[in-house]
Amino acid sequence: MKEVEEKEEASVYQRVVLKNASPYHYLKVRLVLEDDSTRLSAVELKYFIITGLKSLYGEVGAALNFDVLKYDEDTLTAFLRVYSSLVKLWSSLTLLGSYQNQACAFRVLQVSRLNPLPKNM
Amino acid sequence: MAVFMDLNVPFLPDRSDLRSVVETAAHLGFSTIALNYVFEPTAKKKQEIPTPTPINELIDQLPMVQGRSRPIRVLNRLTVLMSDASHFRPNAPEYRCFDLLAVQPTSEKLFHAACMVYDIDIICVPMTEKLPFFFKRAPINGAIDRGVVFEVSYSAAIRDSTMRRYTIANAVSLMESCKGKSVILSSAAQKALELRGPYDVTNLALLFGLSDGDAKEAVSSTCRAALLHAETRRTASGIIYTTRSQREAPQGSEDGETPAAKRAKPT
Repeated sequence: MKEVEEKEEASVYQRVVLKNASPYHYLKVRLVLEDDSTRLSAVELKYFIITGLKSLYGEVGAALNFDVLKYDEDTLTAFLRVYSSLVKLWSSLTLLGSYQNQACAFRVLQVSRLNPLPKNM
Repeated sequence: MAVFMDLNVPFLPDRSDLRSVVETAAHLGFSTIALNYVFEPTAKKKQEIPTPTPINELIDQLPMVQGRSRPIRVLNRLTVLMSDASHFRPNAPEYRCFDLLAVQPTSEKLFHAACMVYDIDIICVPMTEKLPFFFKRAPINGAIDRGVVFEVSYSAAIRDSTMRRYTIANAVSLMESCKGKSVILSSAAQKALELRGPYDVTNLALLFGLSDGDAKEAVSSTCRAALLHAETRRTASGIIYTTRSQREAPQGSEDGETPAAKRAKPT
C-alpha cells in the first residue's frame, strides 16, 4: 500500500496518496501511560518495543530491524522506521498492554513512507 | 472518510471511568459506540434483564469526534450469555429498549440455533477460553445470508498473554470458516487505555487473516450494516419511530441486509 494516512490533533483528516515512495515505513507514535509522570529514555523505549515484538512474534520478530529516529522524552513521542514489514511492528505496538505493571497504550499518530522529519535530523 | 464504530464498550458502573472511555473513543475517531450490558441468566433464580440508563443521565455533554463536527453517538446493546436454549426469549419486551442485541453461545447446538433461528444482530465469539466446538460452514453461511454479524473483541489480547493466544486462535478459525465477511472487530475495553484507534484495529484484522479491504470493512461498513439490521429488526414488529423525520417505519425493505426469513412469529 503506498498511501499516507495522517491524523492531526487539530481534528482535520488528510489523505494523500503517493507512488514510488521509499522502501522504509515511518511511524509516529506516542506512548500513553497510566501514570503521566513516568519518563523513559530512548534506550528503554526501544527495549520495550523489542520486548513487545518478542512476546508476540518470538525471537524472529524481536530481530526485526527498526530504528528510533527521534524521541521526545517529555511528551513520549517517537519517530520509528522499519524496513520491510510494517504490519508486524504496528500490530505488536497495538497489542502492548503494560509497562512495568502500569497500563499503557501506544497511539499511532502518523504512518508514512516518506521521511516526515526535516533534512538535517 | 469512513465512519468507524466500536460496538462493544462494556458498561461500567463508575461514571467517571465511563466518561473517560467515551472521551477517549471520541478522541480516537470512533463516530459511534455501543454500551454493552452483559446479561448472564442462571437457572437458579429469575433475574431481571438490566434496563439501560439513558445516555443523558450518564454523560452530560457528548464529546466531539476528532475529525468530524458531530458529537459521538452512544447506543445501548445487550449481550446474553447463553448456556441453555431457554435463556434467550424471543420478543421479550425488555429487549425493546436496546438498540442492538447480541448473543454469546457456549455450545455447538446453541451456536447453530443462534445462526439460523434467533432474531439477533451480533453473535459474540468468546475470546477468553478455548472454543469447545469448531465452526462449520453451514450455519455461518446461514447467518451471513440473514445479516447476522460475528464479533471478535480484542482487548483480552492486550490484557494477558494467554488470552492473546486464545484470541488469535479463535479469530483465525472464524476467519477461515466465514472467509472474512460479516465480521466486526470491537474492543471490550474496561479502561480508557485499552481502546485502540481504528487504523490500529484494522491492522489487527490483517493479523487475524483478513485481506486489506475486508479488514477496514470490519471496523466500518460491516458495523454500519449491523446497526441497520438492528433497526429493521425493531421496526418490523410494528413500532413507528417518531424521532426520524426523513423516513417512515419501513417494513425492512430499504437495505440489502434485511433478513429474508422474517416469518410471522407465533404469539
